[in-house]
Amino acid sequence: MHWLSKKKYKIGLMIPTLLVYSVFIMLPIVIAVRYSFTKYSGIGQARFTGLKNYVRLFQDKIFWISLKNTMVMFVLAFVLLLTLSFLIALLLNKRLKAVDFSKALIFSPAIIAPIIVGIIWVYILDPNIGIINNILDAIGAEGLKAKWIGGDKLSPYSIAVIYFWQQLGYLVTIFIAGLKMIPGDVLEAVKIDGASAVQEVRYVIIPMMRTTISTVAVLIITGVFKIFEIVQQTTGGGPNHLSETLVTYSYSMTFSSSDYGYGMSLATVTFLLSLLITAVYTVLTKEREGESYGK
Amino acid sequence: MRNKKLKMFLSAVMVSAMTLGMLTGCSGDGGAKEAEKDDSGATVIKFGIHVANPAEQEAVTNNIVEAFNKANEGKYKVEFEAADTETHSKNMKLKAEDGSLPQIFWIEGSEASEYSEAGVLMDLTDFLTENADIKEALGGMEAAFKDDNGQFGLPYQCNVQGIFYNKEIFDNAKVEYPTDDTTYEEFVEMIKKLKDSGVTPLSIGSKNSAFAMWEFNEFLARYGWEGNIDNIISGKDKFNNKELLACFEKLEGLKDAAAFPENMATIEYFDAKQLFNEGKAAMFGTGQWDCAEFDKNIGDKIGFWWGPKFTDTQSSQEIVMKVPSAPIGVSAAVADDEKLKEGVYEFLKFYYGEDAAKLSYEGSIFPATSYEGIAASDSQYSMNTMIEALGNGWASPQAAPDLTVSSAVQESLYDAIFGVLQGTYKPAEALDKIDAALANSQ
Amino acid sequence: MVNKKKRTVQYVLMAVITILVVFPFVWMLLLSFKTNSEILSSPLSLPKSFNLDNYKHAMETLNFPKLYGNTIFVCVISLAAELVITFFSSFVLARMEFKNEKIRKMLYGFLIMGLSISPFILLFPVYKINVFFGLRGKLALIFPYIATSISFNTLLLVGYLKSLPTEIDEAAVIDGCNIWDLMIRVILPMTKPVIATVVIFNVLYIWNEFPFASVMLRDVSDYTLSMGASFFKGTYTVDYGGIVASSVMIIIPELIFYGIFQKNIVEGMTAGAVKG
Repeated sequence: MHWLSKKKYKIGLMIPTLLVYSVFIMLPIVIAVRYSFTKYSGIGQARFTGLKNYVRLFQDKIFWISLKNTMVMFVLAFVLLLTLSFLIALLLNKRLKAVDFSKALIFSPAIIAPIIVGIIWVYILDPNIGIINNILDAIGAEGLKAKWIGGDKLSPYSIAVIYFWQQLGYLVTIFIAGLKMIPGDVLEAVKIDGASAVQEVRYVIIPMMRTTISTVAVLIITGVFKIFEIVQQTTGGGPNHLSETLVTYSYSMTFSSSDYGYGMSLATVTFLLSLLITAVYTVLTKEREGESYGK
Repeated sequence: MRNKKLKMFLSAVMVSAMTLGMLTGCSGDGGAKEAEKDDSGATVIKFGIHVANPAEQEAVTNNIVEAFNKANEGKYKVEFEAADTETHSKNMKLKAEDGSLPQIFWIEGSEASEYSEAGVLMDLTDFLTENADIKEALGGMEAAFKDDNGQFGLPYQCNVQGIFYNKEIFDNAKVEYPTDDTTYEEFVEMIKKLKDSGVTPLSIGSKNSAFAMWEFNEFLARYGWEGNIDNIISGKDKFNNKELLACFEKLEGLKDAAAFPENMATIEYFDAKQLFNEGKAAMFGTGQWDCAEFDKNIGDKIGFWWGPKFTDTQSSQEIVMKVPSAPIGVSAAVADDEKLKEGVYEFLKFYYGEDAAKLSYEGSIFPATSYEGIAASDSQYSMNTMIEALGNGWASPQAAPDLTVSSAVQESLYDAIFGVLQGTYKPAEALDKIDAALANSQ
Repeated sequence: MVNKKKRTVQYVLMAVITILVVFPFVWMLLLSFKTNSEILSSPLSLPKSFNLDNYKHAMETLNFPKLYGNTIFVCVISLAAELVITFFSSFVLARMEFKNEKIRKMLYGFLIMGLSISPFILLFPVYKINVFFGLRGKLALIFPYIATSISFNTLLLVGYLKSLPTEIDEAAVIDGCNIWDLMIRVILPMTKPVIATVVIFNVLYIWNEFPFASVMLRDVSDYTLSMGASFFKGTYTVDYGGIVASSVMIIIPELIFYGIFQKNIVEGMTAGAVKG
């Protein structure tokens, strides 16, 4: 095999990928970080301002609001969406009639452009023309009417719900794929031992699905940091940036306010934060796995 | 022999990559490219405009362009590059960077000086010297767009801004029409009564349309904006001063009186206007560009009002808002191409000429120029009520308050205003935000 | 008996979940037949008739053939290029010998790192890089799309290529294959299933992508589908019926595509995730 692995082959075959990847993924990060230390209005010259953008960022209330919103969505997704999709996967893994049809339908939002997902949900959540408030009106439950989007409180929760809708089927399907990998005889053995359904899930299924659960968790972490179109379409980040997420805020600072330097410092912080959370999560789960192996 | 194919393949990849690079590289260096022609051989002049659908949203400009194209068939053709205001502003910035600016484009007022400083705009001083009649017709309106680099832009139109109201709704609610002497306190009473009658008193939308705050320019102006702003920007004073604080408290008062639509955060300027058009809102703050639409939807029931008088300030209350609108500028690259420059000059001559002014009046828009003997027809109800309102002869500021600050400050001014209107910020807090934005931008 | 009750509960749950998920689509379809004033004044009512005006308006405003053309153009070029380059680089990483194993690991790790990079930090810098290279319009999208696919493709391809036994290479060499023949004639055909996954995943990504498109595309003639949806919305903010109809027209083909290739799409997308 040696002759196959000649250096020039290796280099020749690797170079296109490395080149495109370095120029369009790695270099941009360097550029972003560099701009984050400047003041730049989009035309003319960028001016180096040192740490000023970062100082401003930590004093910027809207930054903290968008961080809080992102974290609200993150926690909701991490706790609720993960559990929900796992439970639904358990249900849809049963031999039920029409279960394949149901799975196919539940999956469908995942293939739709997020921008259209945003547009659809405006007609459901808008305080005036949306269906929810109108139904509440019609059944005489005016008291429950709320500003689902566009108010000062509920927007991040509503956006999390939209995100759930979009991701649910996808995550359920991944869980089902994981469930299918559990050998049938293991489950039978558990049944014969007389374990209850809850015990079965708790002591057999969950431990055996660790990798799948990790996968879904990482997908949720990275996914939450990409929620963009939904916010743009439903609230545009408003009112007064109250429903802004980290990415929409950095986008709006960069491209709408033409404050490119500050926008890049927001992008950099967001990027570091998502890396950090992923890393912490990976380390934590690794450690736990190590423990269970030890036992 | 064995690796010959691989070598051939790799070199093919390299060659094609390089050709691609060169091809695009050539088209990319901008500026030096030939003027574009259309099928009939006419030189194409691109006009970047701040609405996505000029035929409907900027009908007058669309008519002027069509008239120009007709008169210059086979010679010049003006084509729009159209996008909504936010996208347009973003695109122009990005295009200034990569050298693909359209020949003529509408510039966000507060950003115009940035473009000028970056040297991407052509000096139009020569144009005005060559066309003395136009300079005269502009009557000083162009002064707002002049700096050390010369005449970097010309006013797109003349903006007359204030509050339009629907007389029918006022009659139904048994509320008297506002007048030049209506005070803020009376205004608040008016709002409460209108609200009780089941309509939205003052329609406004904040989603993607922070710029839609024209009626509040009048508020700012009547709290002494013009006299103070230089001091504030130079650091001698703050936005959070007594006058502006009083002004912002008045905004808060409107919120407390429930003047605005409940879903103002999820609707845009266009939706807000729709509420007014459909008779669901009693008042709507905007400018003359919406006149034609109001004529169609509201007809002779339309009224126009400058806004309330304030009694807790020493500043003059006899101020109206007839100001140069945001400018249009010409890309500096045009100067390098005689043919193109000729075409652009021809178009500007036409745009600021008498025929275009007529078209403008027909479409209920006040042009930046004024020529004798042009007037609105009787059925142009909205425009006539504005002309009537202008009859009081009160002074106008040099420029609308929101256009006198840099884009970062403007952004936070809008943010502050809408923040107070929606109850997100307290007045003082909102003003502090503008001060912070000013500090950050310097 | 208990079992039967349990079954019923399961069926009810399944039905409720499915209906909840499908409802927004149905609602949108209903809205698209209503006039604007119906949507505004009686949001709950059913459409009075099969009113196709909204669709007519959408068709008049959006140049659908062009939108589809642009999207397909960007999709095909990006996919072709990314498949070629990532197949080669993955082949090297999975099947070639490295004197120093660390280099292989480093290269692999370097290429995989992109999975945790959010595209949002890249938007403005990539725009700058495009300006530098003079890449404009649709071309400005192709390189970022290729680049953002590299990590995912590498992960899948390397994993799969590694799982093929090394005996294949040996047999091929004994038969007189050179490296070119080995890659294209022998290994590539065996890689089909994972390539299908890669294709599906990336087609969906490019088809739906908005952030890059919104920064790189500035002329309507270059717009891709997702930009089309936002363009319609920007142009006719108050035409709610038209906005819905234009969105429906963009997702219907997507849903049909999904209906036909449902199995492959679901498998492709989950395989990608589970492997990750």
